[in-house]
Amino acid sequence: MRNQVFAPLALGAGLLLLWEGYVRLAHIPALLLPPPSAVFAFLGQNGGTFYRNAAVTLSELLIGFAGGVVIGLALGVLMHTWRGFRTAAYPWLVATQMVPIPAVAPILVLWWGFTLAPKAATVALMCFFPVAVSTVDGLGAVNPEMLRLLRSFGARAWTVMRMAALPSALPRIFSGIRVAMALSVVGAVVGEWVGANQGLGYLMLHYENRGETAGLFATVMVLAVVGILLFFLVGGLETLVLPWRRYAKETV
Amino acid sequence: MTAPALRARGLTRVYQDGSRRMPAVSPTDLDIPEGKFVTIVGPSACGKSTLLNMFCGLDRPDGGSIETPALGPGGLLGRVGYMPQSDLLMPWRDVTGNAAVGLECLGMAPAAAHQRAAAHMKQFGLEGFEHAYPGQLSGGMRQRVAMLRTFLCGRKINLLDEPFGKLDAMTRTAMQAWLLDYWQENACTILFVTHDIDEALFLSDEVHLMSPRPGRIVLSLPVDLPRPRRYGEVVTSVAFNRLKAQLLDQLGKVA
Repeated sequence: MRNQVFAPLALGAGLLLLWEGYVRLAHIPALLLPPPSAVFAFLGQNGGTFYRNAAVTLSELLIGFAGGVVIGLALGVLMHTWRGFRTAAYPWLVATQMVPIPAVAPILVLWWGFTLAPKAATVALMCFFPVAVSTVDGLGAVNPEMLRLLRSFGARAWTVMRMAALPSALPRIFSGIRVAMALSVVGAVVGEWVGANQGLGYLMLHYENRGETAGLFATVMVLAVVGILLFFLVGGLETLVLPWRRYAKETV
Repeated sequence: MTAPALRARGLTRVYQDGSRRMPAVSPTDLDIPEGKFVTIVGPSACGKSTLLNMFCGLDRPDGGSIETPALGPGGLLGRVGYMPQSDLLMPWRDVTGNAAVGLECLGMAPAAAHQRAAAHMKQFGLEGFEHAYPGQLSGGMRQRVAMLRTFLCGRKINLLDEPFGKLDAMTRTAMQAWLLDYWQENACTILFVTHDIDEALFLSDEVHLMSPRPGRIVLSLPVDLPRPRRYGEVVTSVAFNRLKAQLLDQLGKVA
């Protein structure tokens, strides 16, 4: 556990040192690539700005993520239980992922303006797909012997779903949710790029336009930290919800 | 002669593999007397499991009939106890939760089902492991949880499909003795399936030998060894070995 915290920190610190050394020795202009020391200094001076804008992005991201996960789960369960729907809908669900999000986002802004809604919708649009796919796969992967056993006990379809299919699918569903979490950060930023006056995505554009490269890098760093924390938060939630996974040698 | 708990007449099952017809069970007649321990013994893939699947209602026969006078009219699903070859424990449920699965399927509230299961932990040698997950248990314990799950349903007829097949020899002997104790304390009918002739003779009142695929019963043997039986004494006795010779002899003719 300690190693899992220190190893990435050590690697990160090493890379920052290389970056700092390269910029200084090669005399790279700060406008092109500021040294990490400058980026951290910028972070320190503008802590309040980053905090406020990160809060905005975080709320868009979490609302969109929650919506995307719920929609993904519902679609997954529906596709699992209703074959006809699955056959009809699967290609179209894939199609939604082929449409570039930057092309869709402006339309959402057109509909809902500079509000939270288009950003949350962009996030949800990216999030629901991995969750839906992993739910369908997970529910379908339940051991058929287990289903037969429950049927021999006289279990009805819903009982089988609740007692066997859903719990056995949860590890896969969580993999989908982790992917969705990572995507949601990108979703929120893209949503803000198209039309926003606050948030980390907006901040990136703001610093870019003003030629404040250190600010741009600082924003990316804050985004990365938010993303990493959220990703591992989902992992922690998974161990909390699935305590048995530590002992499970087999899949059911 | 006790009335049969389960009576099969002319039972057949044919699997369709593409265009090929694969007969799994040839016309089979079988009477399982109430309260008896009856075993079907036969080589691997001879249709023993198929027979059990039909008896518990999971699989439909292609011909013949199954009557269960002990149960009265109605379907078989959910009314005949069934324990498959693999323990099929749910890794996300602890021991108590797994044992309660059968009761919950029958519609009992989870809390009540867990309570019922918890009350049997000592009897099934699971005391102290109530909240362990299946991944933490030995093979013998897993099998006892699976058996508790089936027996908790309190069915008059219980079908056990090679329940000890995956256990090592010593654990298996202990589990056999334990099962006999349990059966003698709790009057129920057991139909047991195995490919181990020693196991069949040691446990049963009657042994039916099945031929290789398509399975049919080629020899039915009453086992009148006195009870209670002690493994060491029984399997070394002359009467036991005479029965064993009969079964092996017949098996040699059909295999």
